[in-house]
Amino acid sequence: MKKIVSLLLCVLLAVSLTACSGSGNDNGADPGQAQPSGDGGSGEDITLTMWAHQNEPWNAAYTDAIAAFEAENAGIHIQLETFPYDEFEAKVQTSLIDGDGGADIYEMWGGWALDFTPHNTLMAMPDDFAAQIQEETYAPTYGALMNDGKLYGVPLEFNIENGGLVVNLGLLEANNLKVPTTWEELKSTAVAGTAHDGNVFQVKGLDFVNWDSVPYYFLSLILQQGSNYLTEDGKFDVTTQEAKTAFDELASMVTEDKVTDLEGLTGGGDLEGYQQCYAGRVMMVPRGPWVISEGVESFGMELGTDFDYVEMPWYTDDHKFASETGWSLAVSASCKEQEAAMKFIHYLYEDEVMLDHNIRCTQIPSKRNLAESAEYQEAMPYTKVLVDILDNAQFIGTFNTDRLKETVNDTFVGYCSGDYASIDEAMEDLNTKLNAILE
Amino acid sequence: MKNKKFVWAVMLPAMLHILVFIIVPIGIGLVVSFFNYNPLSSNNTFVGLGNFQKLFADPDFRLAMKNTLIFVFATVFLNIALSLLVAQLISYFKSNKVRSFFRMVFFLPCIAPMVATSVVFSRSILPTTTGFLNMMLNRVGLPSVNWLGDPKVIMISLIIYTLWVDVGYNIVLFSAGIDGIPAYVYEAADLDGASEWRKFRKVTLPLLGRSFQFVIVQTLISHFQMFAQFSVLILKDGPQNSGLVLSRYIYKTAFEYKDMGYASAVSMVLFIIIIILSFIEQKKHNVDWEY
Repeated sequence: MKKIVSLLLCVLLAVSLTACSGSGNDNGADPGQAQPSGDGGSGEDITLTMWAHQNEPWNAAYTDAIAAFEAENAGIHIQLETFPYDEFEAKVQTSLIDGDGGADIYEMWGGWALDFTPHNTLMAMPDDFAAQIQEETYAPTYGALMNDGKLYGVPLEFNIENGGLVVNLGLLEANNLKVPTTWEELKSTAVAGTAHDGNVFQVKGLDFVNWDSVPYYFLSLILQQGSNYLTEDGKFDVTTQEAKTAFDELASMVTEDKVTDLEGLTGGGDLEGYQQCYAGRVMMVPRGPWVISEGVESFGMELGTDFDYVEMPWYTDDHKFASETGWSLAVSASCKEQEAAMKFIHYLYEDEVMLDHNIRCTQIPSKRNLAESAEYQEAMPYTKVLVDILDNAQFIGTFNTDRLKETVNDTFVGYCSGDYASIDEAMEDLNTKLNAILE
Repeated sequence: MKNKKFVWAVMLPAMLHILVFIIVPIGIGLVVSFFNYNPLSSNNTFVGLGNFQKLFADPDFRLAMKNTLIFVFATVFLNIALSLLVAQLISYFKSNKVRSFFRMVFFLPCIAPMVATSVVFSRSILPTTTGFLNMMLNRVGLPSVNWLGDPKVIMISLIIYTLWVDVGYNIVLFSAGIDGIPAYVYEAADLDGASEWRKFRKVTLPLLGRSFQFVIVQTLISHFQMFAQFSVLILKDGPQNSGLVLSRYIYKTAFEYKDMGYASAVSMVLFIIIIILSFIEQKKHNVDWEY
């Protein structure tokens, strides 16, 4: 009897432990498998899982597109699962490492795809569709989705951090200043709009010191001078005179003009620079158009009245910049229903569907005809300053852009803090560190 | 004999759990640390001790190690000193209800999610211009401190936050230990005319040996593994990586740099440090008596 009781206890404990260490998959389904629908096991219906990061308007746009697609394609169901952004990359990565995959369709940041495309974890787009995408979209939007001549996803947007400037019109007016149109005006306006109380900023004239803007503007300033940060064999070279000038130009706005500080990179602030612009603590901030909706919805400001989104003045007349691949859609190589998944991808890529998606997500379209369309410009007139320059962009390069940003930003903070004896020393150090990323 | 079999039978599931979810992953981690490992790749080259050799030449690893040791030793020492002091003060209250009330108050931060409290500290308490702490300093005529943006100050901010969030747990443990000391020992000390300080030093501290052993080891281990505040409270490991610790470096190397072999090597170093320190601590505070 005691043996039976012991065995029973063991089984109970083992079961409870197994239950505790469950996979966390809410529906208890085998991840990555195309799930049969609850139609009593007829096996005819297909259910695909799609993963995306949590973003209210974006998720609503996906949900509506899925509903419309399901109405047109009886028997195919798409289950959208969303995750907080901070967890999303690790979630995507571990699920694709797992082999079986956690989803059939992934919303994926272009830079993440670089890690997956060489290892056959994502499905290559059919050749004719890939050719169509390459013809119809801007090159930077799919650059990171390419590997060995194959395309592994569909770009949803043109990710752009250059070219746009958020301006707090109230602060500008209070100082009798006008929206700057040249680089020199940008600097002088920033200086005139900056207000200090001892060592503490009351208003920062131009807060470009943030995770994205310093690296992007550094690269853009190099390109605008007719040089490049990459050599022909794909190595970094930021020891050129143009690179030194670009870096020094940005640093001088912190150390000499004192129009901003390093808070955006070192921490210590309660809000991001563009949020401080909406809060009346920063006069101008160069950022992508994705910050506009927050000004309107979270800060209750009116575009055109309280703040404006204008063209960021250029350093030279050669309006060049680098851009990385933004949000895209990809299909897992382990998806059991690739035909159905591709049907959905094709559906989202249709002009009408994609245009609606771009407008609702306040994205710059990846497709050239949509970006230039009257409907898009009517719905998002403030993006015109960006649409006009999209053809000037070059794909940033096939490397981990997070590491590029971290390396440039660390060197920038160090240089502005006096850790380097000269710009030459800073650029030599930066060059070594950047090339280490490629190893 | 039958009793032994029963014990084995009951222990087996727990041991299987430890084997599958603790020992095997550690073993796999050790194996991975000898490879240039990318889980997506089918070609992972064996590099022997290459990843460990790389550690010695890696300035970020050295910085992370230095920061980790400073953080852990400061927080563990201050945590234990503070929690012991508070637990002793709480024990002076005669009423059980009052004692429970204070224990609960100090324990509250422990049950709040660290990610959430880190956000509160980074957005409301520690910001330079609008933070509550600087407002208080300014109110009494002191200048503002750049708590999160100054490389010389950032570790102090992290230590203050960690003490706030974690001290309550040890207060409860020490309180339980102090309450467990038989009253007759103190009565004997009273008869001998011992002062409060002498009673604390000669009676309370020695008789808290078991509590000490547990508290030090578990605080050491948990503080070596602290992650949330380094990830959320400070921005990108702080200026010039002044807030970079080993747990963050492991995450960064594995998931941001995608270098899992090297991340496993760093994990092994952290694992060995924790094992050695725990072993030393166990030996040092070995208790072989009972009331």
